Amino acid sequence: MSGSSQHDWIGNVRRALGRTGPLAVAPAPPEIDEPIVRLVHSDIRLAELFLQTAKKANFVTDSVSPEELAQRLIDFLKSQNCRRVGLANSEIIESLNLPAKLRESGFDAISWNDLTLDETYDLDCGVTDVWAAVAETGSLAIRPEPGNGRALSLIPPIHVAIVEPKKIVADLLDLFEKMASDEPGAAVSLITGPSQTADIEAVMVTGVHGPGLVRVLVVI
Amino acid sequence: MGLIHLPQFDFEQAAAKGAADKRLRAAVTNNTFRKQQGREIRWREMPDIQAARRLASEIKQHTLEHLDYYLDQLKAAVERNGGKVYFASDGEEARKIIFDIIAKTNSKRIIKSKSMASEEIELTAHLEKAGLDVVETDLGEFIVQVSHDRPSHLVAPIIHKDRGSIATVFSQYFGTPYNDDPPTLTRQARAFLRDRFRRADLGMTGGNFLIAETGQVCVVENEGNARQSLTTPRVLVSLVGIEKLVPRMADLAVMIKMLARSSTGQSMTVYTSIFGGPRKAGEKDGPEEFHLVLLDNGRTEILADPEYREILRCIRCGACLNVCPIFRNIGGHAYGSVYPGPIGALLSPLLGGLENYSDLPQASTLCGACYHACPVKIDIPRHLVSLRRDIIQGRLDGRWERMFYRLWARGMKSPFLYRTIGAIQRWDLRRRAEGKGWISRLPGFAAGWTRIRDLPAPASRSFHQIWKERKTK
Repeated sequence: MSGSSQHDWIGNVRRALGRTGPLAVAPAPPEIDEPIVRLVHSDIRLAELFLQTAKKANFVTDSVSPEELAQRLIDFLKSQNCRRVGLANSEIIESLNLPAKLRESGFDAISWNDLTLDETYDLDCGVTDVWAAVAETGSLAIRPEPGNGRALSLIPPIHVAIVEPKKIVADLLDLFEKMASDEPGAAVSLITGPSQTADIEAVMVTGVHGPGLVRVLVVI
Repeated sequence: MGLIHLPQFDFEQAAAKGAADKRLRAAVTNNTFRKQQGREIRWREMPDIQAARRLASEIKQHTLEHLDYYLDQLKAAVERNGGKVYFASDGEEARKIIFDIIAKTNSKRIIKSKSMASEEIELTAHLEKAGLDVVETDLGEFIVQVSHDRPSHLVAPIIHKDRGSIATVFSQYFGTPYNDDPPTLTRQARAFLRDRFRRADLGMTGGNFLIAETGQVCVVENEGNARQSLTTPRVLVSLVGIEKLVPRMADLAVMIKMLARSSTGQSMTVYTSIFGGPRKAGEKDGPEEFHLVLLDNGRTEILADPEYREILRCIRCGACLNVCPIFRNIGGHAYGSVYPGPIGALLSPLLGGLENYSDLPQASTLCGACYHACPVKIDIPRHLVSLRRDIIQGRLDGRWERMFYRLWARGMKSPFLYRTIGAIQRWDLRRRAEGKGWISRLPGFAAGWTRIRDLPAPASRSFHQIWKERKTK
């Protein structure tokens, strides 16, 4: 049975719909009337809006200038007793020279390129940039790339995300449009808050399988 | 074909058992009420929720009407991304495909995230039976697995369990002292599963949506265990029902705005992962190979019926369970199916055979709350009535019932018969009430009604008589 059904399964679906051959022209999906579903209509002051929505999503948020970012990161990592820190090889992290500055302050700071996947399980914190962020929901969008994989924002118990205002889009509609046009087919993970569960008696517990604490720094 | 039906399952007994369990009813009612409130609050965030429901239902309906086209498009796109697509006409085929992938990739340690499609084909139980090392990684599903239980809600699988029973199971499973503090229980599971994530070589997910234009799967979750499946193991397998398709990314944006709002009362789940295909050159994590198994298992038959086709719009949000007065009182296990609640009362007989689930379409007051809660506007009450019609039409022992209704219709059509039968009934019922005003026991097929409650005695005169007297005055 396995062989025959692999053979013409789309044909079976077609017959179920009462058609004999493939459609001659591509069907047109329903028009998406944006006012029905769009929640953020303007591109003005997106960083401010994002800071608010990200806070509502239970991220620990702050805005920082590029000059003070390294020190703020160091203070935060110290307050959380972090020692081993993994950092993405991304433009903003390298241009601010964060790995070297962390090392100077006594952290065991390792870049993604020098880590094995297995070693990320022993990190205290992962520091990444984002591919995009969404003002509507406060979401971070991470797209795996050679310089920043999937693991740094998932496996260590603490995640620090550095968000540049130019990466912030207004609405989920804009983010999904960006995904469809900019390298379609690329994997993306949206992160909207710390890992959580309410499976046991609807009691909210954070830090299940992903980071229980996510620090979001918006660079202004 | 179809769902796995629990052997010797008796809905009436299971429902009575559920309804008599006060602790269960309190837990289910609390949890579902909270989810209902959450949905109502989140729906108000949308500029025009009724129009949004319409749009979401149109997107899904359009996709179903052209499912052959979009499946074709999906398959081509997945292959373009470097993934493999399989089609499974039933559970047995799906399991065989998955077993073959496991063997071919020499996978020893399997991590699995929550998926209704895999529940439908009892995948975990079959993998375990074959001696494979497989672990459910969603906290609720992990608790289900180690306590050899069954999930009882589409979204909150252990809604029927309290912390005490979980603590007992964990204390036995891990050999640790009893502790029923939810954060402690969660940390215990985390520590155990983290090691499994680290060493896993095959990850399994379901899919909330499939995107035809990009050949991708979308999975939403709050814990991060599904993301683990996409990150560490070298092989990734996603098992998804064919009805989960949407045409474009733009459509996915609309559906994502509706799903968590309707399901958990969040505007967005913590993690929304969109993926498909192996890792790209230079990447250090993510799967080296990707396999997408598309599951039919009775869906094409539903698709072929223009009346029931719209049921396949379902996005498994669970909103209809949360508002259902029956579900709240009997819990999910009473349905005897992986799909409980109002949508389960449709999906179970349609996927698993009407003869196996003929009680479920009756298990509804037809109050309509499920329809009003449905983000894709499935007219659940109407379909429940249609299934009742199908049951009557196909039933062999329906002869007596049919004769009863024929006589009933005769009586209702003739004023003389109606009044005479009414008078006899009134006399009889008042006689049975013995002046107490209540009847505590009725004979024959009416006994079921008085088994759990009393029937008030009818008034001495009918409305018709009183009306007539007033008019003559």
